[in-house]
Amino acid sequence: MTDDPERFEELVREHQAMVFSMACRYLRNRALAEEIAQDVFLQLYRKLPSLESQDHVVHWLRWVTAHRLIDHSRYEKRRPQSPLEDAPEPASADSMGSADPLLSDMLRDLVAALPENARLVMILRYQEDLDPMDIAQALDMPIATVKSHLHRSLSLLRDKLSRKKGVGL
Amino acid sequence: MRRILWMLLIAAGTISQLPAQLRITGLDGLASKAKESVDITLDPAMLQMAGAFLAGSGKDGNDVKNLIAGLKAITVRSYEFKETGQYRMEDLEPIRAQLRTPGWSKIISSQSKEEISEIYMRSDQGKIAGFAIINAEPKELTVVAIEGAINLQDLSKLGGLGVPAIRVPGQAKDQGKDAGKKGKQE
Amino acid sequence: MNLDEELRAALRREDPSLGFAERVAAKAHSSPAPKAVMRFPRMMWAAAIAAVLVTGLTAMYEYRQMQAEHASRDAVIALRIAADKLNNARDKVSRREN
Repeated sequence: MTDDPERFEELVREHQAMVFSMACRYLRNRALAEEIAQDVFLQLYRKLPSLESQDHVVHWLRWVTAHRLIDHSRYEKRRPQSPLEDAPEPASADSMGSADPLLSDMLRDLVAALPENARLVMILRYQEDLDPMDIAQALDMPIATVKSHLHRSLSLLRDKLSRKKGVGL
Repeated sequence: MRRILWMLLIAAGTISQLPAQLRITGLDGLASKAKESVDITLDPAMLQMAGAFLAGSGKDGNDVKNLIAGLKAITVRSYEFKETGQYRMEDLEPIRAQLRTPGWSKIISSQSKEEISEIYMRSDQGKIAGFAIINAEPKELTVVAIEGAINLQDLSKLGGLGVPAIRVPGQAKDQGKDAGKKGKQE
Repeated sequence: MNLDEELRAALRREDPSLGFAERVAAKAHSSPAPKAVMRFPRMMWAAAIAAVLVTGLTAMYEYRQMQAEHASRDAVIALRIAADKLNNARDKVSRREN
């Protein structure tokens, strides 16, 4: 891959939504998500000469972002036990694609409150539209574990949604 | 000396007949065929951690904490398939063979052509030592192994349904306070 | 309402703030070369080791808390599945007897 400065900026523009959104959905904090996304791209800049193709770049970015996020949360204070009651302000007013922006916001809060690995699995599944096999590769995780996380997380989300808001699913 | 040796042999024979903890085997490979699967194994250390974490976390958390207080292990293998024919009843044979050994008794059984629902209880020196649940349907297979003492009436309430009491040999019969109560299943 | 669709909508990608790519590129090109290793006085080494130990212990504590949280979630799910199948079996027997 080239280390041409203009090409690098183009690369960032091409993949910024993916990296930033992974961080934003994971952390529910735009400013922090941008910081982490920036770090990931700076790391990419140093790594670029050894990456062989666009696909390689994408896989590398997902892998590094996921592990940066896990590392970050390991050193953060423990999150509150009642994520709905103590949820931070919504990170984005984005409500495109859903008829119910409140529901979207709630779902983002709930996903951000999942355990780390489950959270990443859900983000890769529903943001990146990866299938379980690709998620397993991206996170270096057995496929059975990925499926287990998906099943459990969806079950938890349905449970929490129906308890909190009487949402029928 | 010979007498001591004979006594040791008899004791060894008796010990070897004691029912062992259920090992859920023979289901390898089902996870890759399933659209969704649950694979949970909680040993004594994990159960203790869970109990400590749940303490003081409200009524629901305390209910679960009380349920797991007497447990040594819980294992769940649950698979949901898109299509039928992803497993055979023979796949359950290694598990059901263990449940036919002394110490295990079947307390609930419902079988049809396509489905099996069975609950087994293990007893050890007259005390309840564990349960096993097998639920096999065309597109779903679940096996649960519980080691330790658990109150099935309390467990059934966790499912959200107010079903009539289950009479378990050795446990006091429920007076039917929940009989007829219907709840919303989660 | 379909939860899958709602999750896709809720977790749809979005861009960072305007000018993100330019800022990152500018920072990348202006990053100084790595400095040579400096020799630290003994006190600073002790402080660094202490910081690493504290960080490590904190990380261990955080990790244990995370393990406990995971274990409790697993316990709840395991028991709910067991309860569901228990009630299922009981229902089937009840229906057969009635």
